[in-house]
Amino acid sequence: MSQITSLFPKDWRNLNFTLIVFFSILLIIDVPAVNQFTSQAIIKTLYFPFFQFKSLMVKMGTIAYENELLRQKLVEAKTRIALLDEAARENERMRSILGFEPPAGYSLLPTRVVSVVYGGNQPVAAVINKGAHDSVSIDQAVVNQQGLVGRIKEVMNSTSMVQLLTDPANRVAARIADTREMGIVKYRTGIGLMLDNFPVQGTIQEGDLIVSSGLGGVYVAGLLIGNVQGVIRQPDEPFCEVELRPAATFSSVEEVFVLKSDIE
Amino acid sequence: MIRVLPYFLYLLLIAMHEVIWKDIAGLYFMALNITAMIVVMVATYKTETAAAWFGFLAGLVLAATQPTTMGWHAILLAAMGVGVYHIRERLNLESIYSKLLLIVGAVLAHNIVSLFINGTDRFFYMLWVYCLPSAAYTSAAAWVFFLFKERIITAQKLKSVF
Repeated sequence: MSQITSLFPKDWRNLNFTLIVFFSILLIIDVPAVNQFTSQAIIKTLYFPFFQFKSLMVKMGTIAYENELLRQKLVEAKTRIALLDEAARENERMRSILGFEPPAGYSLLPTRVVSVVYGGNQPVAAVINKGAHDSVSIDQAVVNQQGLVGRIKEVMNSTSMVQLLTDPANRVAARIADTREMGIVKYRTGIGLMLDNFPVQGTIQEGDLIVSSGLGGVYVAGLLIGNVQGVIRQPDEPFCEVELRPAATFSSVEEVFVLKSDIE
Repeated sequence: MIRVLPYFLYLLLIAMHEVIWKDIAGLYFMALNITAMIVVMVATYKTETAAAWFGFLAGLVLAATQPTTMGWHAILLAAMGVGVYHIRERLNLESIYSKLLLIVGAVLAHNIVSLFINGTDRFFYMLWVYCLPSAAYTSAAAWVFFLFKERIITAQKLKSVF
């Protein structure tokens, strides 16, 4: 009996090896049903969770890539919308300009403001995209559909510098549109646009329109400058202080016209 | 059942390596031969029968996606398990380097025979660019594993470095 039990482990070992060799040979001779079944069983039990995990990772990677792509497209679309909005606003401005007529004997040269020069917190000059090549010359009046903007101060070949009404050095001979009484329009830093040299006994009231008088030869007569915002009369002073509300909005000036005489 | 659980986890590890880790861990032509390494480990620490059966099952798992070569891989790894077991029985494998030498030899042998099983027409080229570098790469990974297993490197030692 003891001999039998001592032999058993050896037999057990041989049985194991025989089984392994048998199964291996069975798989080596490639019986399709056996091989396919074994392969499928292993793939379904051991490989499947990792295949799932891998496909999930690939899917997540694809989603991340798509997300990045969509973000990029969103930025592009937003930029395009911003450009279209800007084009719509420009279109609106252009429509309002369409009905704008120049004074008799003058024609309008449409130009675009390419940069603005600031003095303090107020724009004092602007550079426009037309110059000597477009027959722009010094002292020509510059207007937009709202009213007088300024005059040409410097001319280069393809650009010009416009001295705006908000430049304290600029002066415009003006008059009240209704009463025809005259004064000089200038800009005072910290106060705003003023009508100077207007006598205290003159007839003026809030809301009166102020236009260029044409005296001095720089500005054509009748160009709208603004309207009266307030009148201060000092008892001992010969002139009153007249504050004006400018017709043109200088902080947002974009498209302007150079007034060219047809005679030149 | 509990005794079988570690082997099942090793087989899962082989499957995971084949599906996920293999492409990530590959360097140029070199591939980490986790299967051969695990079979050697099992044969180094377990019984002859366990090594043989585990080698057989590891071969099946390794070649599950290529059913026609399953039998060859199964018998190859089973034989490798038994072979490593007998080498372990006859040699003193206390040193890490002797174990690494065993792994290099086993992985190299497995890679070479796998080339024949899968069929290659450029044997010497593949031997030079794939079999030898892969054996070195796998033994480097095994060396790191042994450093942790033999507690030459521990988490505390790593913390003390930083």
